[in-house]
Amino acid sequence: MAILIRLDEQLHARRMTLTQLSERVDITLANLSILKTGKAKAIRFSTLEAICAALECQPGDLLAFDALQQIKE
Amino acid sequence: MNRTSAQALSVARPIIAGLTVLNIFYALSITVLLCASFVTEGWPWKQLGFDLATMHAQAANGLRAIMVIGMTGAAIVHTILRRLRVIVDTVRAGDPFILDNARRLHLIAWSVLGIELLRILVLAIATGMSLPGQMGGLTPAPWLAVLLLFVLSGVFTQGARMRADLDGTV
Repeated sequence: MAILIRLDEQLHARRMTLTQLSERVDITLANLSILKTGKAKAIRFSTLEAICAALECQPGDLLAFDALQQIKE
Repeated sequence: MNRTSAQALSVARPIIAGLTVLNIFYALSITVLLCASFVTEGWPWKQLGFDLATMHAQAANGLRAIMVIGMTGAAIVHTILRRLRVIVDTVRAGDPFILDNARRLHLIAWSVLGIELLRILVLAIATGMSLPGQMGGLTPAPWLAVLLLFVLSGVFTQGARMRADLDGTV
């Protein structure tokens, strides 16, 4: 997947754990873990909105496109 | 799931198990009948009140052919019941929208179609041999059931694809 999830960096910058984020956005730790490890196939706007609100960031801070990865695939 | 569906689901498995046993008994009975027709003189025609001498020259073979078709039908019904049992199990497990169930429904549709074609064959033999007794006529209900099953298998295929799309959505 050429779409990268930068949740780990955002959490690290805010000294926040995945468990704390899970409690704030009311999304299960398992689902957040799937998202963080890049195993998710899709993300709902509602999930993105909740995470952006909790981390006070923009969707672009969480998502990135890796053209090289796309070429490899 | 509403209460009626839940109740239907809970009784489905024992009913399918019962029907499977009955179907096996039916197949064995026809097999015994067929074998006996070769070794016992005039059996079962005499017991059924048939006088083969006054009937079509091939009447005995016609009846035997109907028995073979009956055994084939029983084998097809067995596969239908087996697949139906697996589908019911997946519904009870809460995960029915899978491609395997779509494939099973598709095969059940073909099986029901096969049974209907066998029924036509039986009717044709009975009519051709002028066999006595009530064989039943052609009704549209089974053909509608075949159509419904093919449509349902398509619905399941689409449902399974949508379900696969949802897997991994956060």
